[in-house]
Amino acid sequence: MFHIIVKMCKNGEKKMTENVFENANQSKDSSLVKGLDTKNKLDLEILLELGNMGAGNATTSLSDMLHERIVVEVPKLHVAAPHLVPKLFGKHDQPSVGIYMPLRGSTDCDVLLLFEVEEAKKIVEMITMTPSPDNVDSNMKRSAIEELGSIMIGGFLSAISNFTGVELIPMPPELVTGSFDALLDGFLLKQALVSDVALVFDGCFRRTGSAAGGTLVVFPSFELQKLLVNKSQEWLNRDYSVMVTAEEHTFRRVE
Amino acid sequence: MWTRLCNLLFTVNPLNTSLAKLPQNSYGAKPSLASSFATSKVVQNSEKSFQEVRVDMADMKVETKPVVLITNVGSCVAICIHDSVNKSGGLAHIMLPDSKITKNDVLVSKYADTAVPALAEALRKSGRSSFGLSAKIAGGANMFSNLKANSLNIGEKNVEAVKEALENNGIKLLAEDVRGTCGRRVAFNIVTGKVHVRCGNKEVTEI
Repeated sequence: MFHIIVKMCKNGEKKMTENVFENANQSKDSSLVKGLDTKNKLDLEILLELGNMGAGNATTSLSDMLHERIVVEVPKLHVAAPHLVPKLFGKHDQPSVGIYMPLRGSTDCDVLLLFEVEEAKKIVEMITMTPSPDNVDSNMKRSAIEELGSIMIGGFLSAISNFTGVELIPMPPELVTGSFDALLDGFLLKQALVSDVALVFDGCFRRTGSAAGGTLVVFPSFELQKLLVNKSQEWLNRDYSVMVTAEEHTFRRVE
Repeated sequence: MWTRLCNLLFTVNPLNTSLAKLPQNSYGAKPSLASSFATSKVVQNSEKSFQEVRVDMADMKVETKPVVLITNVGSCVAICIHDSVNKSGGLAHIMLPDSKITKNDVLVSKYADTAVPALAEALRKSGRSSFGLSAKIAGGANMFSNLKANSLNIGEKNVEAVKEALENNGIKLLAEDVRGTCGRRVAFNIVTGKVHVRCGNKEVTEI
């Protein structure tokens, strides 16, 4: 037990190792080390940038489907105790429609796409090309929204796995309605069971000219956080001088 | 009265972090009143206008003024304890069933087995009598069947733990709206003791 912890903390700060030795007898607390070292800013920046990329792709697919411009707000990464996360979102009572899509494979990740109810109705109206959302059959409404979620989360997933080479398999989407906080809390409970710190990606977007919008919320598992950061750092540490000369070479040949 | 109210309205405490860290203050009457007014707003109810006070996740509030305590629960459980003699009440939003899961966490209102006695004690302190406490609970849903945490069925465990804790503390359970697959918005009127629950985006029901 001790050996593993010491190895994992090799690059960590002193405080981290001290805490670990204090709690080494409790198997529960060793899970704190399993996750990312949240004090390392570069790792968090990398995760935020990956999320940003995925959210960009997801909203592009939405934009393609609706033929409308989508405004994406600056994405955020919330790193806090699980029970403080709803406050950081600050959308407590907002009635929402949530599409949940678990990503499974070697590691797992939970992706939740939340639309305000009014916005979801309008989008259904646009997809099904009916004059009023009330004319749409409720089963049709449901599957239209589920399909929309599936396409957007697919965009998110392909962006991330193309870049890092992590294999993730999407499972069928699930649709649930309720207030914003109530939809989030199951995922926060899942994170609270294994760690004292939750890491949540928050990407807000909306159509131009509409007040309502949607939010892409991602809960990566600890293994996935580590894997993504490691793969990205491989990219960062790559020898780019070789690549530049290769490009120059092809450029000259074209000339 | 008005100047006092205004003063309280302008005290900005966006995260309530100080309250979350100190368990002895999180359910004390004075600090909870100050923080709750800062995030509250007046709403028109069917009969009277009540102040709406939000209770956050893993938080607990005890009120003696006529207010409506509001919270949103999915797999968490909202415990509403009403003191019919003193017309006061408290609401706790618990996350996990058992506080033994961790040893370095000091947040009393996060766990079912610690939140119930703390809430009851705070209510007994604010009122004179220790009789007439009754409880209503809501939440413990199993919202997403594919969510891995649900294979442990945390919602179900939460409900059972809350019921056990209520029984241990001698508080009668009057009504419940638990389990199912929908998120609930809970509004607890501490004057009448009525709890209005909105399941998903359906109509409001009273328990």
